[in-house]
Amino acid sequence: MDSYPRILTKNWETPNSHTLAEAKKAGQYSVLEKCLKMDRQAIKQEVLDSGLRGRGGAGFPAGRKWMFVPDVEKRQGKPVYLICNADESEPGTFKDRYCMWHDPHMLIEGMIIAAYALECKTAYIYLRGEFKYIQDRVDEAIEEAKAAGLLGKNILGTGFDFELYTHQGAGAYICGEETALISSIEGERGQPRLKPPFPAVEGAWGCPTVVNNVETLAVVPWVMAHGAKAYAAIGTEKAAGTKLFSVSGHVMKPGVYEVPMGVPMTTLINDICGGLKPGRTLKAVIPGGSSVPVMTPEEVGKATMDYESIQEVSGSYLGSGGVIVMDDTTDMVSALSNLLRFYAHESCGQCTPCREGVGWMSQILIRLDKGGATEEDIETLLDLANNIHSKTICFFGASAAMPVQSFLQKFKPEFLAKIEAAKANIVPEVVSTTNSEATGSSAGAK
Amino acid sequence: MPIVKVDGIEVTVENGTNMIQAAAAVGVDIPHFCYHEDLSIAGNCRMCLVDVEAGGRGPDIACNMQARDGLEIRTDSENVKNMRESVMEFLLKNHPLDCPVCDQSGECTLQDHYTSHGNNGSRLLDTKNHAPKRQPLSDKIVLDAERCIACSRCVRFGDEITKTGDLRLFERTDHTEIGLFPGEALDHGYQGNLIDICPVGALTSREFRFQKRVWYLRETPSVCIGCATGCNIIVEHESGEVFRFKPRRNPDVNSSWMCDEGRETWNDSNDFTRILMAKVDGKRSDFAAAATAAAELLSGKKVAIVLGTKGSNEGNRALALLGANLEGSKLFVMEGNDPSDTVSSDNMLKVEDKNPNRRGATFVAELSGGASTGVELKRALDAGEFEAMIVLQDDAVGRMGGATAPTVVFIGTHANQTSAAAQVIIPASAHIEFNGTFINNNGMVQRFRRALHPVGDSLPDYSAVDKVANALCGSVVGSDGAEIFAGIAEASPALKGASWASLGGAGQQIGSTQQAGAAAPSK
Amino acid sequence: MSSHQPSHREVQSKGHGEIAFSAEQEAEIVTIIAKYPTMRSAVMPLLWIAQRQWGWISHDVCRVVARRLELPPSHVLTVATFYTMFKKTPTGEYLLQVCHTLSCALAGADDLIAHIEDKLGIKAGETTPDGKFSLMRVECLASCGSGPMMQVNDDFYECLDDSRVDGILTAITDGVSLPTPRPEVDQWTHTPVS
Repeated sequence: MDSYPRILTKNWETPNSHTLAEAKKAGQYSVLEKCLKMDRQAIKQEVLDSGLRGRGGAGFPAGRKWMFVPDVEKRQGKPVYLICNADESEPGTFKDRYCMWHDPHMLIEGMIIAAYALECKTAYIYLRGEFKYIQDRVDEAIEEAKAAGLLGKNILGTGFDFELYTHQGAGAYICGEETALISSIEGERGQPRLKPPFPAVEGAWGCPTVVNNVETLAVVPWVMAHGAKAYAAIGTEKAAGTKLFSVSGHVMKPGVYEVPMGVPMTTLINDICGGLKPGRTLKAVIPGGSSVPVMTPEEVGKATMDYESIQEVSGSYLGSGGVIVMDDTTDMVSALSNLLRFYAHESCGQCTPCREGVGWMSQILIRLDKGGATEEDIETLLDLANNIHSKTICFFGASAAMPVQSFLQKFKPEFLAKIEAAKANIVPEVVSTTNSEATGSSAGAK
Repeated sequence: MPIVKVDGIEVTVENGTNMIQAAAAVGVDIPHFCYHEDLSIAGNCRMCLVDVEAGGRGPDIACNMQARDGLEIRTDSENVKNMRESVMEFLLKNHPLDCPVCDQSGECTLQDHYTSHGNNGSRLLDTKNHAPKRQPLSDKIVLDAERCIACSRCVRFGDEITKTGDLRLFERTDHTEIGLFPGEALDHGYQGNLIDICPVGALTSREFRFQKRVWYLRETPSVCIGCATGCNIIVEHESGEVFRFKPRRNPDVNSSWMCDEGRETWNDSNDFTRILMAKVDGKRSDFAAAATAAAELLSGKKVAIVLGTKGSNEGNRALALLGANLEGSKLFVMEGNDPSDTVSSDNMLKVEDKNPNRRGATFVAELSGGASTGVELKRALDAGEFEAMIVLQDDAVGRMGGATAPTVVFIGTHANQTSAAAQVIIPASAHIEFNGTFINNNGMVQRFRRALHPVGDSLPDYSAVDKVANALCGSVVGSDGAEIFAGIAEASPALKGASWASLGGAGQQIGSTQQAGAAAPSK
Repeated sequence: MSSHQPSHREVQSKGHGEIAFSAEQEAEIVTIIAKYPTMRSAVMPLLWIAQRQWGWISHDVCRVVARRLELPPSHVLTVATFYTMFKKTPTGEYLLQVCHTLSCALAGADDLIAHIEDKLGIKAGETTPDGKFSLMRVECLASCGSGPMMQVNDDFYECLDDSRVDGILTAITDGVSLPTPRPEVDQWTHTPVS
């Protein structure tokens, strides 16, 4: 772990790293011309061989996703679209905005290479609405690249034409889900779609579409420059490369860190992020964005930061790499109530279990948190979570269910204690989701 | 053709069949709300979740599962039972307990599925969300937003069928509501279908609301007579009173839809212009005396026989055969519509030809050597070539701008210019009062059935004609409609071997020659 | 992502009256529409232009956007009500959106909100009588490592504490230039400086 190449963050400390001049100095666009002359299949193969897995959360091999796009003869003349998912809305995750802020050209170069490999002529970067200031910077970078002949017609004289646009979201967590993102960019409500058909076959505007996370696409130039082997050599056998981890919560130095996959979780928290505040002990960690199951300190002690280890050790997931650290001052009931308020606010409202169930879970949790719940409520809560998990159109249902299931499984005594304490002196109050801000729960240390 | 298994039962289905349809083919009912055969798949209600035992990963929704070889699903497992219970629980989480005052009670999918698939009792301790009730969406529909289960059927109907894009879901989360753009009203001619497809009491009919608890209603399959499309319908009635028409699914005719104009004809048989008893020279008469009077008037004269574009095939057959007994008579089938018809059409189901059986009248006439046109009839009448005319159902006089014969016998349901010119008026039953057939503009031979007793002294049109024939020359067809139809079938190669029974609910095609209006898109 | 969800029923029908895009906006719209294979895709970009111009999305705004894109106005409204950043009611000149999702909550967002409420004399979800400030609790804005934070109109202010917030509010009230937003961008791997 001592020496590893910094792939994504290597230019972040350079002043004006977002400009084309600085980007070129740092070696950006150096591999582009070579790529645009390569066989398209060879690029896909290289990315597949590198072991690069989608950095948005699902961890699906990027190369394989690209290979799902039907060959030209099977596309019936339809164009292929590439969309960069820069919606970054999973609580605990804040890496992509740094990528785009500090090094937009790395992403642009990655997108040009990906677009070339996919025979795509038009691509979009879908940024969450609140990233307007980042969008402005990315737009500037696109203009610069265009002026330099890196985008537009006949890129670098290779005959490859490619247009890249940004698209601003407007406040919807669900648009980070790829089919919801596609609905959104088509000018619809950001509601996920049924699969099949899969986006690679029938995505945006009915055409084959690849949706990749910012970090995934930004890594591509490095992979193409240094080769699949070099990338695969970093990290673990099944989780190649470095990964950006967004660390927040009760650590001394929260922030975005690029480390190789497979680093012990304790190293990340205690060494890289400076550990907890003095005198505090670790209570829980959510390792991959708010949607994944919570981990106990014992599990944290055993886990390394890669897909397999976290799952094996704790049943949780690496997800987007959004690590939320909670120390012993954290009220776990409040923390869960806070998360479920988020999910109740963000359910797209399309399918029954999620639309009705998540709001209901949130109501129960607010009652649990404020007093006025019984042991039966815990049973109901768990039951509802089980009934939502994997019964919905998209993964949102599971995302809302897994925190509930894991918190109740791993921190049940805290929930019971809260009920006991409340029984003593609190009259049950009825809570409506319609005025959640008035009754919004507070989590964490005071 | 893929072979799939549903609960262990093997079934071969057409390509493109989904697993709800495949299950139905072996008699397994998979409950659902958002799925509708004639709309796109939304997959949002999750009620049709089933276990996938082979050929896929499950649980998954049956509506979005295309039948493919090796696919095996199970719908009777404990897991499926639990999933259904849970979906019902979720759907009822914010659904008001309105059933006693809800007009949908008795035909509510939510009620039905709760009875069959719900668990008992409620463990809801928190509040339900509320939304406004009684919001008019037009002069026809009222919306109760909190009863809505966001299945999006109505939204898809507006997008895919009427292409009006008017209804939308607003907001998100469990505050999602359907509605129109504020200040707007639905203004297409197919609104009744929205009420039909709404699985709950969110969209109800302002006209039908609170008129009748639906469980009292009896259903009789029939055909709409609003125009020549002949949409298949169900007549809902009780104690001799019709309460509404609803479309009956026929993929070859009207999919699951019908237009509002047709739907609104439900009370036409009860119209004040309805002919309830016979008249001779303007005076009330009993039926037999009127038939005799008609026979006397027609006997020995040159008679123009006007077959009814609004009469049944059986009635027209009877009239054509009666004509064969009148020397010098000639068959006519009138073009155009009655002056009282409201002529309108669209590019969906509604066509300009408001005669449910023009095709049938022509078809029956051809079996007797063919018919001449209304233009020809007018010319002949003006030239004094006919001394008398007998008209079945059509307002022939009205259609000819008042041209008439010295003697007119009219057999029909409603008063019109022809009945006004007639010396003898014989009351015929409305199509919901007897059994018979029509042929729609596309050549589909379809049955309509008796829902009510014939009102007044009226008789089915073929019986009425036969009564006149009896007095004139002896019975020509008898009084059994089914036999008359068998006679038609025998005389026609296109209907060889057909019978009322063989037509069934779907009808029989005799060839498509004049696609006047495209049927609604069907899946 | 606002946690205040006005219902579409609350969207005021009397909003902007007869309005139209300017020639300059029309030129921008033409460029936007050209980016997508269908005109419908331009609905969100056009709502953004409209919101910048008219402050919030009224029925009149929906109609203008719908007319330009040849869509039913109901479609524009369904999109507008799905996304929380499209304002369905007018807000103050400065919209303060404070994140209160888990990481920010762990960092003390609720105390910060209470402080701002005290300072402005309004509750979250309200606007000051002079129309200067609106305060809203919102869900995660992807600043989890630099919480508590708030978005002031388009800008992110991160690593906040009471005194930094006071500085921002005072600057707005006094009409002086605001502190530079997003100080965190220079310290992506370090402890946030305050």
